[in-house]
Amino acid sequence: MTDTPLLSVENLSVRFEIKRGGWGKKSYLYAVDDVSFQVPKGQTLGIVGESGSGKTTAALAVARLVPAHQGVARLGEDDILSKEGEDLRRMRRRVQFIFQDPYSSLNPRKRVADIVREPLDSLSDKSEAEKKKIVDDLFEAVGLRPEQQRLFPHQFSGGQRQRIGIARALATQPELIICDEAVSALDVAVQAQILNLLRRLQAQFGLTYLFISHDLGVVQHMCDSIAVMYMGKIVEQADRLSLFNNPQHPYTRALLSAVPRVDHPGQPSRNRVLIPGDPPDPNNLPPGCRFASRCPIAKPDCSQREPLPQSIGTTHSAACHYVGTDALDAIGMAD
Amino acid sequence: MALLEVENLRIELSTRDGTAPVIDDLSFHLDAGETLSFVGESGCGKSMTALALMGLLPERIGRIASGAIRFDGEDLTKASPARLREIRGNDISMIFQEPMTSLNPVFTIGEQIAEVLRAHQGLSRQAAWDHAVELIDAVRIPNPKGRAGDYPFQMSGGQRQRAMIAMALACKPKILIADEPTTALDVTVQAQIFDLLRDLRAQTGTSIILITHDMGAVAEMAERMIVMYAGRKAELGPVAQIINHARHPYTQGLISCVPHLHDVLTEDRPELFEVPGIVPSLRDFGRDECLFASRCAHVTDQCRSARPPEKSFEGGQIADCWHAEAM
Ligand SMILES: Nc1ncnc2c1ncn2[C@@H]1O[C@H](COP(=O)(O)OP(=O)(O)OP(=O)(O)O)[C@@H](O)[C@H]1O
Ligand SMILES: Nc1ncnc2c1ncn2[C@@H]1O[C@H](COP(=O)(O)OP(=O)(O)OP(=O)(O)O)[C@@H](O)[C@H]1O
Ligand code: SF4
Ligand SMILES: [Mg+2]
Ligand SMILES: [Mg+2]
Repeated sequence: MTDTPLLSVENLSVRFEIKRGGWGKKSYLYAVDDVSFQVPKGQTLGIVGESGSGKTTAALAVARLVPAHQGVARLGEDDILSKEGEDLRRMRRRVQFIFQDPYSSLNPRKRVADIVREPLDSLSDKSEAEKKKIVDDLFEAVGLRPEQQRLFPHQFSGGQRQRIGIARALATQPELIICDEAVSALDVAVQAQILNLLRRLQAQFGLTYLFISHDLGVVQHMCDSIAVMYMGKIVEQADRLSLFNNPQHPYTRALLSAVPRVDHPGQPSRNRVLIPGDPPDPNNLPPGCRFASRCPIAKPDCSQREPLPQSIGTTHSAACHYVGTDALDAIGMAD
Repeated sequence: MALLEVENLRIELSTRDGTAPVIDDLSFHLDAGETLSFVGESGCGKSMTALALMGLLPERIGRIASGAIRFDGEDLTKASPARLREIRGNDISMIFQEPMTSLNPVFTIGEQIAEVLRAHQGLSRQAAWDHAVELIDAVRIPNPKGRAGDYPFQMSGGQRQRAMIAMALACKPKILIADEPTTALDVTVQAQIFDLLRDLRAQTGTSIILITHDMGAVAEMAERMIVMYAGRKAELGPVAQIINHARHPYTQGLISCVPHLHDVLTEDRPELFEVPGIVPSLRDFGRDECLFASRCAHVTDQCRSARPPEKSFEGGQIADCWHAEAM
């Protein structure tokens, strides 16, 4: 890749201690397990995957909102994970989070102008006049009217509240914005407004997004590259076209085939890849491939040997023993 | 005669702001063995329609003001509470979005399903339990004998939703109403639940009313659909026909504002189509005008002057829009 990445994550792991009664040994749940990815400046990386696969946890670690256990995360040249004190405060300004729920993430007792200004108060040293100007500009950028600044969150619709959340995230002129299911709670019509807004702001301010969503249509529309997670691991990673046109991991194929399509009314998706059963217990992971118990092409070897990421071209990799082999034809995407 | 016929149904909600028609002059029918889908944005009255069919409108707040709901010829709007309870137990059942709210946390799922069977089919304790295990098997929960003894919290979200479906099927309903049954689930699990519903319908001939906000789900599951907007029907008709050529601007907006997965993806990424604005608030629902007018790209003075009439097209497609022919 020619672009230098704005965000570069290497071998990141995040673990949570599991409380067990008695004096037993401490044990840990590895919510994110040895994950690496990069996002070039001005681009969007999507993270998709099963509920509980570690998407939010990985993003929280990058934003220093949960402690990482191992690994490196760099924002430009700066090491994110080692920052403390004033350096950490400066770093926080450059990374902002937009959450799923516009209702609970806004303080109901504050006027929305103050909500949007708050990060400026705590993370910057700007004058009152400068802050006022920034807030005015932000309201305009996200499509809210100036007189609405004096209102409280409950006086806005869900979509408008999400706009306020976006304005607030933009206040410190961050370089990286993490959108965690940022449009999932919105109706489709309002969702389209917000997605267009996010892309316009990206072009306008050169923003870089880490975009977490369970909606593959939205991810396909928004993202330049995509990482697919399963049980704490990235199982496949590729540029937008390769991932959707030529997915290589059985889980990715199952995921894409499960999405109901509008273009063939009256029939279920063709070539649906069924993955019955549940994912394994994250507290007690099996050896080998974590997907083996549900994988339609798994062979005995899969539950013994862990598959490592294998490259398919320069911008595509998948962690499966059968990448690029005939075994994948059984769950082909061909028409 | 259709299995279910809803005629000019009007449901009024009394809130602090006064009384408003949350369902306003809604007519539709449901044939035996058919799947009919309701779509529309949040607050348009989809769940309220379902609750009305079940005789479960919020007490003291909601009431059926006029119209008829004929199930097998019997008008449910005139039925006694006892009769409605009987119908809910035997003929029409519902699965809700969040299974935890409808499963009882202190009983095993086997006990809960068996209880339904004992109450409605008068089975003995042992027979009810055996049948419960069969139903758990039918909804494809692995190891049904063992899992029947599990409490809801011991199951995954997808399994709980399947347990809910098993319970809803326990009385062999003629109509199964599914209100956003997969919204909280992963797409891979959603696909399994949809496959399951389709198979069950094929085996039992149960009619399904599927409420969803996902046009893809509608396309995959239903023969006919009703698009609701602000308590009114915007459009009704065969799914494929509406997706190919919607006659109501709101339907067109709903279909084209969503970034659908493409079969073959290209570099091309145009801006998404936007429907500006939001759904009007409940207190504006009853007004004599097109309630979509403030958001519509095709609006004329006529649209603001009176509620649009039904315009019928071939194949049973109906659109409530002044300019439907021109769309
Ligand atoms: N604070 C915590 N303490 C203990 N375990 C946690 C904590 N936060 C997350 N986990 C666990 O870590 C795993 C990953 O969770 P995470 O929230 O990152 O998943 P996700 O991919 O974002 O899922 P979803 O799509 O449901 O949001 C899960 O098994 C979860 O239960
Ligand atoms: N118990 C209640 N008391 C007062 N108003 C209610 C009540 N339940 C629903 N409403 C109102 O009735 C209208 C229709 O609600 P309904 O639940 O049918 O919407 P819906 O189409 O199912 O939306 P969603 O997609 O969010 O589930 C909404 O404006 C809602 O606020
Ligand atoms: S290694 Fe085996 S189980 Fe794992 S994904 Fe590949 S084929 Fe499936
Ligand atoms: Mg999450
Ligand atoms: Mg509802």
